[in-house]
Amino acid sequence: MTATDTGERRRGSDARPLITDLIDEATVESIAQEAWVALVGEDEILVPLPGDAPVDPVSSWVDVVGPWTGSIVLTTGRRTAEELSRALLREASPEVLEEEDVVDAFGEIANVVGGNVKAALPGPSGLSLPEVGEAPAVRNPGDLCRIDVLWRGEPVSISVQGALPPLPTAP
Amino acid sequence: MRALVIDDSRAMRRIVSGILEGLGYETQQAGHGREGLDVLDGGWLPELVCVDWNMPVMDGLQFVSAVRSNPAWRSMTIMMVTSESEQTQIVKALAAGAHEYVIKPFTADAIRDKLALLGLLPQEASL
Ligand SMILES: [Mg+2]
Repeated sequence: MTATDTGERRRGSDARPLITDLIDEATVESIAQEAWVALVGEDEILVPLPGDAPVDPVSSWVDVVGPWTGSIVLTTGRRTAEELSRALLREASPEVLEEEDVVDAFGEIANVVGGNVKAALPGPSGLSLPEVGEAPAVRNPGDLCRIDVLWRGEPVSISVQGALPPLPTAP
Repeated sequence: MRALVIDDSRAMRRIVSGILEGLGYETQQAGHGREGLDVLDGGWLPELVCVDWNMPVMDGLQFVSAVRSNPAWRSMTIMMVTSESEQTQIVKALAAGAHEYVIKPFTADAIRDKLALLGLLPQEASL
């Protein structure tokens, strides 16, 4: 038998999968679009176009721990995050939006998108409670699947990013 | 009919409660499993409980197990409403005693269809 490189060795026990081997942008986009329609509103379309980076960015994310470990991070401008929260709260939306309202609503969108991304990955994996704040850093640019969309003309990015730095390359 | 909606997200509680009230349910809300058990302990017994999985203090799976260990609450129907959509997790929840499983994001029609299957549509909504 001739030795052909099937990639088996690289997928061995000491290797770990990269997100780009597990999910693609189109899947992330369709998960996000479905979440937006159900949570934000029936006519709320995400347009797959990159916008300028938001001036006052805020992120919401959940962590996945399992065969692949990392975070699903939504990032947008503060005002857009507030607008999203108002859309979710609808008639229950207070006149003055508190920080905790944004943490609640923007965090729940990350929970829904993240839970469905997790289901598309090999399991079993654990899912953390959502957090809102400054996005966790990208540890490995090769372990990243990111989409940029516009919602009501404002930029929103969704990044599925590994929590671990790249493995050292063989000498 | 009464429904208890348990989710750590107030926005999500509003969405689920809004759908159930639209179907004719009277609802109460709780922010995690422990708070949900407090409502039941207080004597407000619903026909239906919609419970999230990922919550602080007491998660949905622990809540289901706690309800199922009390014979007085046996008639309550429990529906998990969660973004936790791995097959192994769904099996775990059903084994613990949940009747139905709805994956977030869901539509109002999806909730209505599940309730119809369970025979839990209030009369005005089933017409
Ligand atoms: Mg939750």
